[in-house]
Amino acid sequence: MKKYKITVNGKSYEVEVEDMGGSMDTASPQIVKPTTAPVSKPVPPVTTAAPVQKAEPKKAETPKPVPQGAETVEAPMPGTILDIKVSQGDEVQEGQVLLVLEAMKMENEIVAPRAGKIAAVNTTSGAAVDAGDALISLE
Amino acid sequence: MTNSKIEQLRQAKEQIKLGGGAKRIEKQHASGKKTARERILSLLDEGSFVEMDAFVKHRCTNFGMENKEAPGEGVVTGYGTVDGRLVYVFAQDFTVIGGSLGEMHAAKICKAQEMAMKVGAPIIGINDSGGARIQEGVDALSGYGNIFYNNTIASGVVPQISVIMGPCAGGAVYSPALTDFIFMVNQTSNMFITGPAVIKTVTGEEVSKEELGGAMTHNKVSGVAHFISNNEDECIEDIKRLLSFLPSNNLEDAPIYQSEDTMNRLSERLNDIIPANANKPYNMKEVITEIADNQDFYEVQPYFAQNIITGFIRLNGQPIGVIGNQPKILAGCLDINASDKAARFIRTCNAFNIPLLSLVDVPGFLPGVSQEYGGIIRHGAKMLYAYSEATVPKVTVILRKAYGGAYIAMCSRHLKADVVLAWPTAEIAVMGPEGAANIIFKNDIQGSNDPLATRSEKITEYRDTVANPYVAASRGYVDDVIEPMITRQRLISAFDMLATKRESRPAKKHGNMPL
Repeated sequence: MKKYKITVNGKSYEVEVEDMGGSMDTASPQIVKPTTAPVSKPVPPVTTAAPVQKAEPKKAETPKPVPQGAETVEAPMPGTILDIKVSQGDEVQEGQVLLVLEAMKMENEIVAPRAGKIAAVNTTSGAAVDAGDALISLE
Repeated sequence: MTNSKIEQLRQAKEQIKLGGGAKRIEKQHASGKKTARERILSLLDEGSFVEMDAFVKHRCTNFGMENKEAPGEGVVTGYGTVDGRLVYVFAQDFTVIGGSLGEMHAAKICKAQEMAMKVGAPIIGINDSGGARIQEGVDALSGYGNIFYNNTIASGVVPQISVIMGPCAGGAVYSPALTDFIFMVNQTSNMFITGPAVIKTVTGEEVSKEELGGAMTHNKVSGVAHFISNNEDECIEDIKRLLSFLPSNNLEDAPIYQSEDTMNRLSERLNDIIPANANKPYNMKEVITEIADNQDFYEVQPYFAQNIITGFIRLNGQPIGVIGNQPKILAGCLDINASDKAARFIRTCNAFNIPLLSLVDVPGFLPGVSQEYGGIIRHGAKMLYAYSEATVPKVTVILRKAYGGAYIAMCSRHLKADVVLAWPTAEIAVMGPEGAANIIFKNDIQGSNDPLATRSEKITEYRDTVANPYVAASRGYVDDVIEPMITRQRLISAFDMLATKRESRPAKKHGNMPL
């Protein structure tokens, strides 16, 4: 029989622990190796202890709200913006070159996925962009 | 007496031909879809269709099914010809209990599959089904399982073509998935394991049917499907076109057509298609059409992983499977999807004795954390495996960049390409001049008074000495350096020479391809 004094949130508790003879630990999986000597049996939860904040269930990430009918043209791979061929307010045709992204030793032409009006240019010439970065918003 | 029996037979057949009845047929038409029979008749040569198993009936007595008539068991099966060549075909009939699949419905399909294998004819399956016939319970599941098993056994024996012309959901998707090619019709076909309703209750995500499993989704995003058509008529024409490139089975050669295009046609266009600046893109599809008979290129998976191009052309009438890097998209580098797409296509061609042409302009594998986490090692390995495993004639043309591991992966001599040609613009090296110069000439550059000037000097030096086709040619890794304009001529000659190629592999159960 061992006696422990345990303080939780400023309150002291006296706990008595009895060694029942060894079989207890085998219940836990072998791979669990406590780094410090365990205080044998876990102390029954004390009500004053603040309950651990239960993680909010993660909501499925909803895509950023895009203005009605707007579409972002994203960088397909990491690289550097060499040249921007359009500016805000321009009308573009499907397949028209919007900007040139240098990546993988290639001057990649990023083209308009459809016809429309440039709502915003979200990058600058010379900027280093990552894959998925918004480059242009198409209205 | 006999006459009345014949009359009886006629009536029974007429009844079966009507499927689910005029009203349901009307509904099918209203939604832009044809009936199973109409689809088969439009695919097959006129008057060639022979139906099998029209009298098959289900044996289900659960939940009132004993009184339910299902003409043709919800699927029309049989054989006929396309362009004079025998094919087997089955088409699910959505007008009969929603085309739902039960034990006997599946048995009809299985019989068609087995017959196709027996006679060595392609099998075309037209899918338009609400899914398993729930009343039949585990018997319906057994039906699916039997179809999947047959799909697997037939794989690489006869071409299997799946056509999605309506819903194809749940376990049903795995029959098409096991076949060689999947056609989908825009707006009227869907494929998914779990539909929008289930997804909403489980994960809370809201997605439309079209967005989740529509034709464009599977052609562009998932890579499940190979072809998309605007309507059913167009789809049927596409199937016929695909069949024209495929042999009827794995023991036959692909059908050779009389070519109207001259063998020795020179292409001036190819001499100046590569931009002077090695960093400028061009359209590899132009190269493919320049080379092909009648400039005719039938692209497979045109919307998926566009950084690699796959498809069929003919060279002097002989069908050829083309794999080409597309410098216009993602710089033409190899990534996970491109590797999967190419590996699958290479294996399809090899299984059906279609020679392979590889057009190389590849800067390397796409760098990035997401690529590494996604297992580019595992996926890229599929390409190496598929090319190495292929015993069909393999001809490679290196147009421009061929760097590092990607050079090896694009059917290099080292993976036993039979003929390797290079254009004078080829840069075959372990890495690009910029990166290489930084490493090899690190000390020179650092110790220089003008590091920038020294660096660009060294880059030029590297480019001149190493990044060209002549080093590889001096080792025999490249057989010849050719003027681009004679590419067609040389390819026809190479494939003609290789027509009798024989190459065997050690006997084994099967290789262990990384998946």
